[in-house]
Amino acid sequence: MFQNATIAEKINLKVEVPHKKAINKAVADYLRSNGYMTALEGLKKDADMPGEVEKKYGGLLEKKWTSVIRLQKKVMELETKLSEAEKEYIEGAPTRGKRLPTEWIPRPPEKHCLSGHRASVTKVIFHPMFNLMVSASEDATIKVWDYETGDYERSLKGHTDSVQDIAFDSHGKLLVSCSADMSIKLWDFTQGYQCLKTMHGHDHNVTGVAFMPTGDFVISASRDKTIKMWEVATGYCVKTFTGHREWVRQVKVSPDGSLIASCSNDHTVRVWLTSTKECKAELRDHEHVVECVAWANDSCRVAINESVSTDNKRGTYEGPFLVSGSRDKTIKLWDVGSGICLFTLHGHDNWVRGVMFHPGGKFIISASDDKTLRIWDIVNKRNTKTIEAHSHFCTSLDFHRTQPYVVTGSVDKTVKVWECR
Amino acid sequence: MNKCVTPVAPVDNDGDGRWISRHSRMLAEAKEKEPDVVFIGDTIIQDLQQRPIWNDLFEPLHSLNFGMFNDCTEHVLYRIQDGILNNIKPKVVVLHVGTFNINDKPIHVAEAIVKVVEEIQNKLPNAIVIVLELLPRGQMPNPLREKNDKVNDIVREKLANSPNVEIISSGKTLLQADGVMSHHDAPDYFTLTDAGFRKVFEPVHELILQLFGENEEKNF
Repeated sequence: MFQNATIAEKINLKVEVPHKKAINKAVADYLRSNGYMTALEGLKKDADMPGEVEKKYGGLLEKKWTSVIRLQKKVMELETKLSEAEKEYIEGAPTRGKRLPTEWIPRPPEKHCLSGHRASVTKVIFHPMFNLMVSASEDATIKVWDYETGDYERSLKGHTDSVQDIAFDSHGKLLVSCSADMSIKLWDFTQGYQCLKTMHGHDHNVTGVAFMPTGDFVISASRDKTIKMWEVATGYCVKTFTGHREWVRQVKVSPDGSLIASCSNDHTVRVWLTSTKECKAELRDHEHVVECVAWANDSCRVAINESVSTDNKRGTYEGPFLVSGSRDKTIKLWDVGSGICLFTLHGHDNWVRGVMFHPGGKFIISASDDKTLRIWDIVNKRNTKTIEAHSHFCTSLDFHRTQPYVVTGSVDKTVKVWECR
Repeated sequence: MNKCVTPVAPVDNDGDGRWISRHSRMLAEAKEKEPDVVFIGDTIIQDLQQRPIWNDLFEPLHSLNFGMFNDCTEHVLYRIQDGILNNIKPKVVVLHVGTFNINDKPIHVAEAIVKVVEEIQNKLPNAIVIVLELLPRGQMPNPLREKNDKVNDIVREKLANSPNVEIISSGKTLLQADGVMSHHDAPDYFTLTDAGFRKVFEPVHELILQLFGENEEKNF
């Protein structure tokens, strides 16, 4: 203890004595330069500081005096900047409580980054009821995950080539999948996850599947240029829709089940009457393969009509509305009723691979081969947020219907879960 | 008789069948994928796929790599004849082949390269073929390097008036002013480092972007 104390004392002496001397000398210089000679002599005597004060102390006291003020000013400036940055950060990523659910959008960083697939992830979807999410991959498997905990649940094996698309029925009791092995499979999600049925009939890669809202039929799209309807109970193909001139990439059924939208390598989006197989509309405006298509929910109508309003006159489009994404790097919004493209969104630097409406109806969200996830404000037709989502092409996305989560899949083999605020 | 132009699969000297396995996988890949750019050729092309420049510059363009270690012109011709380009519609095809035709005469190798270009154009009439001049080899000037130069000259002459063909000679940048090839670019004076790949393939990337741009304008 004693030794330690002496060491400390020595250090103190070393540091403090020269420092104190320097202060004294600076004061002495100040006194001398201002002609306070009596005080200077007194100080020299009291501080035991004989002789002349060296030149380097010239004006030091004044300098110290002003530099403190300058530093104080700098500190205040930096503190203002910091509080501004904090404010920006907090408002840029607000807490969920402060914003309406219709305003919730995904925020980086991702909540979970899930790896397990051995090849590109082709499609990701949420289960409509449980805390589950399902991914399909070129590794021929389908994987089930818990999106809240990030836990891997299980793999569904049976396809012999890339799984291209997956979809749930409205209650999440059945999953349908399609594959480059040309088959379509139905999987039980009530107990056991078995493959219930395998349906054959397409002559080429099957790249799109969807359930009818009633759950008793499945629709599929194929590279054989056709769209087929399958009866879930029997597994039979009951209808074939022909008209596309090339590969049909995806199919989506309208919320009421009366219409089917499809997109194709022939650059068109088509809308079909479910009942008669008649092609109701052929939407042409894209300049390249149309990769993805999605129906608008009812809540979008207000924002869409506001977006096309001119001279204080609001649009009066009745819909139904569709959004499509293409290899021409654009996203287009369509009014099926009038058969026209209402507006085009530019921003992605590569193929647009996934697109859908925000459940709140104010935003469109998209995934692209430029590796980003983008959020578009419908009213202003503007890209409001860009998230660098993956290290390779971002192939698919899904927005949960009721929970604040988005999921994305990528050629980098990962699946990412994003929390919305 | 010029054996360089006769399509044939290489003799499987090692006996592990990997050439034909890889070829089969490429055939399967060509059935599923929809590339905008296809790279086809020898070791240089295959090696490119393992490099950062591939991920940075070529993958975002939707590229497929059909490079095969040690392939000669006759092997690439075999692969094309066997259908490697049958199911795809790339806008651009990048070619580097011929440097492994070591014992063949320059005129024969050059004729074979021209034949490969013709075969590609037969399969893909709308594609633009970028022919990468044979890269220099060896640290110092040597007969093989001179032969490759001769091949390049003949190919350039023969393809001078061919539509939809671009010839790129970025390989010259690998040589210093005194004709020496640096080990920083090619440690074994043949296969390239990342830096060497950047020197040769960044101009290729720029050319592809330019060609894509022109194509878009044509569509409008």
